Amino acid sequence: MNCEQQMSMLIKVQEMGFVALELNLYLDTHPCDKDALNDFNCAVKLLKKYKQAYEQEFGPLLNFGMSGFAKESWQWIENPWPWEL
Amino acid sequence: MAMGIIEGGEIMWIYQKSLQHPVKVSYPDLKFAKTVITQYGGPDGELGASLRYLNQRYSMPTGQAKALLTDIGTEE
Repeated sequence: MNCEQQMSMLIKVQEMGFVALELNLYLDTHPCDKDALNDFNCAVKLLKKYKQAYEQEFGPLLNFGMSGFAKESWQWIENPWPWEL
Repeated sequence: MAMGIIEGGEIMWIYQKSLQHPVKVSYPDLKFAKTVITQYGGPDGELGASLRYLNQRYSMPTGQAKALLTDIGTEE
């Protein structure tokens, strides 16, 4: 498996996840900020795209059925785990 | 990263196979481990703080405050 590619694709998920999380926290206390709402939706759109691309290549990001159907093999148990990349 | 608490459902928390910040665990480092573990646990640790937020949210008067404590508690 290509670790460098996996790392760069996972970093995109991490970065956009961080953007969405911070905007989420900001919106909790500024729920009427239209610009922030817009930014949040842009982040969600990109996050979804990056997650799909990553999961297509390297398997599910979530367990317990929250990343959809399994492929031919059970990829959840595959190395490397995120702290091993 | 990302522990999501789902109340009333069968899932109490989920794990996302990703981190908030890139980390590589490569060799044992006792001094650093000590720092990390005191951040995690103990009276002033993240774990205690997150559980406090997730319990305090039940007595918050507004949806905004409930949401904020839910989100911060989950993030930590």
